[in-house]
Amino acid sequence: MTKPKGTFFPLRPQSRKRGKIRLSSKLRSIQLIITLTFTAVTVAVAVIVSIMLYGKFANTAEENANLNMQQIIEQVNYNLELYVKGMGSIFATAEKQITTSQSIDSPLLYERMDTLMSSREDLVSVAVFTPQGKYVVGTPGQSMRLNTQLESQSWFTTAKRTSEISYSAPHIQNLFKGRYTWVVSISKMIQYRENGELKTGVLLLDFNFRTIDELSRQVKLGKRGYAYILDPLGNIVYHPQQQLIYAGLKYENVEPVLEYAFRSYLDESTGEKRFITVRTLAQTGWKIVGVAYYDEIVTTKRDLNQFLSWFLAVVLVCVIAVSVFLSWLIASPIRKLERTVKQVGEGDLNTPINVSGAYEVEQLSKRFNMMLQRIRQLMDQIIYEQETKRKGELEVLQSQINPHFLYNTLNSVIRLAERGKTDEVVTMIQSLSKFFRISLSKGKNIITIQEELDHIRHYLVIQSFRFKNKFRYEITAQDEVLQYQTVKLILQPIVENALYHGIEMMPDEGLISISAELKDGLIIITVSDNGLGMSKETMNVILSGGVKSGSGSGVGVRNVHERIGLYYGREYGLTFQSEIEEGTIVTIVFPARLAGEGMEEQKEETNR
Amino acid sequence: MRNIRFWLTLLLCGVLWISVSSCFNSSPAYISTNKTRNIHLIVKMNKGDYWNTVKLGADAAAKEFNVKLTFKAPDSESDIDEQVGMVEDSIKEKADVIILAASSYMGLAQVVDQAAYYKIPVISVDAEVGSARVQAYVGSNGYEAGQKSAERLIQLLQGYGEIGIINFTNSSLNVAPDSSGSIDYGARDADEREKGFLNYAARYPNVKVVQIAYTSSSTVEAEALTREMLKKHPNLRGIATLNEIASQGAAKVIQSLSLDNIKMVAFDSSPSMMESLQDGTVQATVIQNPFSNGYLAVKYAVEALEGVAIPERVDTGTKLIDLENMLWPENQKLLFPFVR
Repeated sequence: MTKPKGTFFPLRPQSRKRGKIRLSSKLRSIQLIITLTFTAVTVAVAVIVSIMLYGKFANTAEENANLNMQQIIEQVNYNLELYVKGMGSIFATAEKQITTSQSIDSPLLYERMDTLMSSREDLVSVAVFTPQGKYVVGTPGQSMRLNTQLESQSWFTTAKRTSEISYSAPHIQNLFKGRYTWVVSISKMIQYRENGELKTGVLLLDFNFRTIDELSRQVKLGKRGYAYILDPLGNIVYHPQQQLIYAGLKYENVEPVLEYAFRSYLDESTGEKRFITVRTLAQTGWKIVGVAYYDEIVTTKRDLNQFLSWFLAVVLVCVIAVSVFLSWLIASPIRKLERTVKQVGEGDLNTPINVSGAYEVEQLSKRFNMMLQRIRQLMDQIIYEQETKRKGELEVLQSQINPHFLYNTLNSVIRLAERGKTDEVVTMIQSLSKFFRISLSKGKNIITIQEELDHIRHYLVIQSFRFKNKFRYEITAQDEVLQYQTVKLILQPIVENALYHGIEMMPDEGLISISAELKDGLIIITVSDNGLGMSKETMNVILSGGVKSGSGSGVGVRNVHERIGLYYGREYGLTFQSEIEEGTIVTIVFPARLAGEGMEEQKEETNR
Repeated sequence: MRNIRFWLTLLLCGVLWISVSSCFNSSPAYISTNKTRNIHLIVKMNKGDYWNTVKLGADAAAKEFNVKLTFKAPDSESDIDEQVGMVEDSIKEKADVIILAASSYMGLAQVVDQAAYYKIPVISVDAEVGSARVQAYVGSNGYEAGQKSAERLIQLLQGYGEIGIINFTNSSLNVAPDSSGSIDYGARDADEREKGFLNYAARYPNVKVVQIAYTSSSTVEAEALTREMLKKHPNLRGIATLNEIASQGAAKVIQSLSLDNIKMVAFDSSPSMMESLQDGTVQATVIQNPFSNGYLAVKYAVEALEGVAIPERVDTGTKLIDLENMLWPENQKLLFPFVR
């Protein structure tokens, strides 16, 4: 039965019993919950935001790349246009010089043509041919090769066909000894004088690819993107990987390019997604085609993706770090509190709890401190009350052997005996013996109301001999009340009080009536007398122990009141009603309890 | 408690999403150019238009696929030892791939095996090498080329006459051609071309191959051989040359001596050969595709590194060019490298 010493609070009680689907206690710790929740929420938010940003950025990147590409192509187009215009104007200059020259073989013309040649690095050759394909004049003055087949070459045939200036497709210039160069030829039928005779011939200007190459090479469309130039027939004029195209290792899907002069579209003919932008050159009909690889535009996307992945990883790490720290910050004072409370639980009530931390925890610790203080107070009070109880009982016991009362009573017995009133003596002695037996009642503190009433009856019997019929008494009680329990010897001090203070000084015969009844689960015992009564002031101090009867048992009314309070609770006890010259009514109220009905006093009694 | 599980699941989903999304993005649809590869290209000789064009092609591919190309070549096609040394160096330098145009079919076999031992893939270009460890051969079919040459020359000779062949060889001066014994140290492409030519010519009883001379990659030597041959065989009606150097040497002799009665079918398309073709010294030339060879060799090297299955043999084709078709647009593109 004995509990472990000092365990005041049944800590850690039920939680073990109802562990059904619980995670282990580690998983339920605040720290983990906070960490996980925080991390999950933050990561979720980061992921959502990242996805949204990704979509937005990727779109913008794509649009920008597209726009950028169009601008670049536009720029190339513009530059090429300027270049082609330049070629045209050089052709015009050459034509003018030839037509205005007096003779085609004049040294002056030759010199001028030479100047023209040296002014342009990309000008390869200038030459005039007869409509039959015979070489007339040219610079630089290399000799012609055999078997040139120039009559069938496109620049020659087109020039003869139209009067317009014509631009050829890129081809190998095979006319002059010493080299084979890739050129674009400009040609036109012109008039020239030879020996004063006006003749028609074909003027040919060959431009190499230097400038076109330079212009196109500037085009940077991503790492792998490039621009190429198509002539109106779909021949590739320029391509950064021309050699690959010629070798058949690369392929450009030129058909959709040729259909439109100005467009941008997505092409997948080579198996890769590519953005194609087409612009057309006015004079030559050449098409500038920008090719950008989609996956490079998407490089931004991929970079973004990579960045976001890293970002998320970093966020994850940071969030975990922060949440671990945060949860530690929150959980650690609680844990400290728990440790301290545990210590308190183990009996060390003097452990002060000074946990700082979150406001709530601080409050909690403060409250706990206050509670602890209260507990200490209550314990002090309990100790005090226990002491009071014992003292009261001792006082009661002492009063039972009050020598004064015994002396008086025995005196009365002697006097009766002297007068030979044997019956009375017997009654007296019987009452006295019963009185003491009930007083002692085997040391029990709780007796039945029946016994208590018997006890007071015997007391009154004894007293009525002493006071020579100076008073009458009546005891009435409901039958059902009798078996209820009461703290013993609560009536004697009150009756004593009534006798000594109310009735003794009274000229008339006094009346003491005692009644006991059960009402709403309460035992109500009233002791009324018709004695002197008392003043309000006396009434007020009587329960606080200000008044103590000089004679009598020496056990005060207050003692009764306190004992009832201690056993049944502070709300029970005595109440007084009194009028001077009218008498006093003392009402005792306490809960009705039968034997064995949880009177802790009894339990304690048996324990000892 | 269910909360925790919920959040745990969510967290897991998040992590999963990140990993999955990062995986999806990195699947390349083309050859990945993020990494720079070290590829060593070792060809037969460091001069001549033919090998320059091979290099040009290789450079184009290198640029396209982000390859650091190391180009090596001995001074002469016959310098087998130096080429072997170069392959050994490349193995030491830990090349990612070695692309080799072997000067000798057997002479480089051992060192190729050695490269394979060090887990360096070898791709042969233009000329094969006698090792089973070679991953791929990129080049033309020499036998077919020889047949084409013979076909045209015999056609030009109207089916009869004496023919001299000038071929090339590794057989350096210190090794007599006839003492090579059972081990064939010749360049595989030279042998194949010669075989193709002879086998075709054998069908014509009136055609006689009177001499086969071998030059070791020097125009001057080729010239001397041609002169010697002409002197030795005054009735010679046709000459077939089986590589660029031999062609240039022979063409030079024919042109300088104005031997209009001798028909010649050359090999490869150097500008000077085009010149000869145009002025009528040479009637036709068999061309290969050196640019494609260089380009494809590098491309397949990269693909091999990527783990893509590459074909064992890539025939880049041969073509017979004469005056008539040399200016056809499609042939212009083949014959004249587009040089900046």
